[in-house]
Amino acid sequence: MTKRIFRAILTVALSVLLASLVLIVGVLHGYFQDRVLDELSSRTAYIALGIEHEGVEYLEDGFPNDCRVTWVAADGAVLWDNREDPTQMEDHADRPEVHEALLLGKGHAARYSDTLSQKTLYYALRLPDGSVLRVSDTQYSVWILVLQALQPVALVMVLAFCLALWLAGRLARQLVEPINAMDLNDPGEEIGYEELAPLVGKLRSQKQQISRQMEDLRRRREEFTAITENMSEGLLIIDRETRVLSHNAAALRLLDAQAPAEEDSVLALNREPGFRRCVEESLAGRRREELLEREDTCCRVLANPVEQDGAVTGAVLIVLDVTEKEQRETMRREFTANVSHELKTPLTAILGTAEILENGMVKPEDIPHFAGNIHREAQRLIGLVNDIIKLSRLDEGGAAAQWETVDLRAMAEEVLRQLAPAAEKKQVTMTLEGGPTAVRGVPQIVEEILYNLCDNAIAYNKPGGSVQITLSSTPESQRVTVADTGIGIPTELRERVFERFYRVDKSHSGGGTGLGLSIVKHGAAYLGACIELDSELGKGSTFMLTFPPA
Amino acid sequence: MRNKFDEQLKRLHVELIQMGAACEDAISAAAEALLKGDESLVPAALEAERDLDRREREVENLCLKLLLQQQPVARDLREISAALKMISDLERIGDQAADIAELVSYVRVPDGSGVLHIADMTRAVIGMVTASVDSFVKRDLELARAVCAADDQVDALFDQVKRELIDMIASDAAWGQQGLDLLMVAKYLERIGDHATNVAEWVEYSITGVHPSNN
Repeated sequence: MTKRIFRAILTVALSVLLASLVLIVGVLHGYFQDRVLDELSSRTAYIALGIEHEGVEYLEDGFPNDCRVTWVAADGAVLWDNREDPTQMEDHADRPEVHEALLLGKGHAARYSDTLSQKTLYYALRLPDGSVLRVSDTQYSVWILVLQALQPVALVMVLAFCLALWLAGRLARQLVEPINAMDLNDPGEEIGYEELAPLVGKLRSQKQQISRQMEDLRRRREEFTAITENMSEGLLIIDRETRVLSHNAAALRLLDAQAPAEEDSVLALNREPGFRRCVEESLAGRRREELLEREDTCCRVLANPVEQDGAVTGAVLIVLDVTEKEQRETMRREFTANVSHELKTPLTAILGTAEILENGMVKPEDIPHFAGNIHREAQRLIGLVNDIIKLSRLDEGGAAAQWETVDLRAMAEEVLRQLAPAAEKKQVTMTLEGGPTAVRGVPQIVEEILYNLCDNAIAYNKPGGSVQITLSSTPESQRVTVADTGIGIPTELRERVFERFYRVDKSHSGGGTGLGLSIVKHGAAYLGACIELDSELGKGSTFMLTFPPA
Repeated sequence: MRNKFDEQLKRLHVELIQMGAACEDAISAAAEALLKGDESLVPAALEAERDLDRREREVENLCLKLLLQQQPVARDLREISAALKMISDLERIGDQAADIAELVSYVRVPDGSGVLHIADMTRAVIGMVTASVDSFVKRDLELARAVCAADDQVDALFDQVKRELIDMIASDAAWGQQGLDLLMVAKYLERIGDHATNVAEWVEYSITGVHPSNN
């Protein structure tokens, strides 16, 4: 802008200067031409006087040769010329200046001369004798005069030009300065120019609008971030080139990835085959669901294409943590498979035996033995079904059982009485220590727990071993400890023994349903008690059941 | 102009990640087929290998196009040239994985991991391939160097497997055929380890500008 203003001012100054120069030259030229004509006329008059007094001798006698003098007779014949031979010259009567002089007494003209190729000024005067004296001078001399006069003018012009240069620069800067000094971010009320006021006003209102919109956007983004960051589901939004547009912390956690760099590909977060299929399919415009299984976690990825005007512009990926769900699902599947298998085993035995009996292939004396088999297997089947029913009741929340105060001592004595025949058979001695201990609980469940613990302690004992039941009570808790001297449980299986149908001894030779400890675990959980296991392989196991304060 | 170039570089990066992932697919399918004796996984490994071949040509085209049309310099040039080298290593890993998969029907890894260290070797090699691709994806210099270090471990395991196979054949000549096939598998695994190291070295080159072999 400064440059433009500078150029504009300079152009104006320069054109004014040039115009004045041209005008001055024009005026000077006219003035000097008049002066030259004046001089010519006075000189002609002077020469005319000379000729009048002295005749032609005046002309020939050392007349200064700085201008041309022609003497023409009244009939037009050249009488004398100081530059050319008069005899060679043509008739001059028709020359305008001569013609004019003959008629009016004096005349002048300016003519372009072909012979000398320059403009010539003529002045003619009629002498008293009727002849005409003509004096001429070239215009060239006018120009010399003009140029001489112009020299100081040119100097003044150069000075004026320099002044204009300096002033133009200064003015341009001064004009632009208030605009430069203006703070565009906060244009105050003080504006250098009135003409800028609408612009500044517009600027101010737009700035306010922009900051309002920015604030709005920021708030919306914050809301969005707050919502997505607090989601437990992972959220990823990607564009058509698989670049991550938005992600939340849960997505990074579930995919076990670091925060992606700006415009990084989503494949940099995870490149498991299932995840890649999700990305590819969703960007191809199809919905896709995949399960990502890892050693200890399990995620479900839902990928949905985002379409705009019929074209896929990106995709939204939702990552769900389904570890627990999958584990439960696996457990349920295993349980169903186990239950079917466990139920089938005794039934197969019963069916086989019954078939043999039906076909009459058994000697009468062997019938009691076969019937005994059927009886034993049927009993096992009933035990199993009972255990499953108990478990499913616990799963469903204890089937509205009655909570009351239970004396652990009395309960343990009852259990020992029930198990005495089994213990005797195994040659296991059972002892009970500790006084009456009251806990809050459901009697059936407490009894079930104690029964199963003691039953196991006997079943997995060695002949001649012992089972020690200890009741202890502190203000904080009540505890039952069932310690045996049996075969023990390997350290790595301590968690698994509480699983349904899990047996340390895979051969099933120990009898039982495989559900005992599972019932104990679920029962304890139902009562809010805590079950702990301590065991040494070959030396025996100790189960500790701790009740919360009554 | 620069924008388009950046776009293409990003695409190259994504293509390389996908190629790395395909490579992981190939080796894990082959390894699972080998260790579990599950021949149904063999086609998956072979398919992954074909996929890798196709991707290699694509990435190669992209790299050459970038080199010719954009005439990159400095870091960009380094990244593209490293990519060109890396894809051939990745493709070789796929080939070796397919070779292993083809041998699966002839060999049975004897039960019990105590007998042979070939399972350990397989796991170590898969770890190396994953880590080398990871180091590229995350531009992780430390991880790339860790891959180079892990190669020594794989080499040691190869020697151990070799000795074990010699003992096995010496104890019973009937193991001869199996033993030789297993040796081939071990050799392939060892080569995969080397290629993974190469990949990691090129990652290091593209990050630092100095190839580790020059140190």
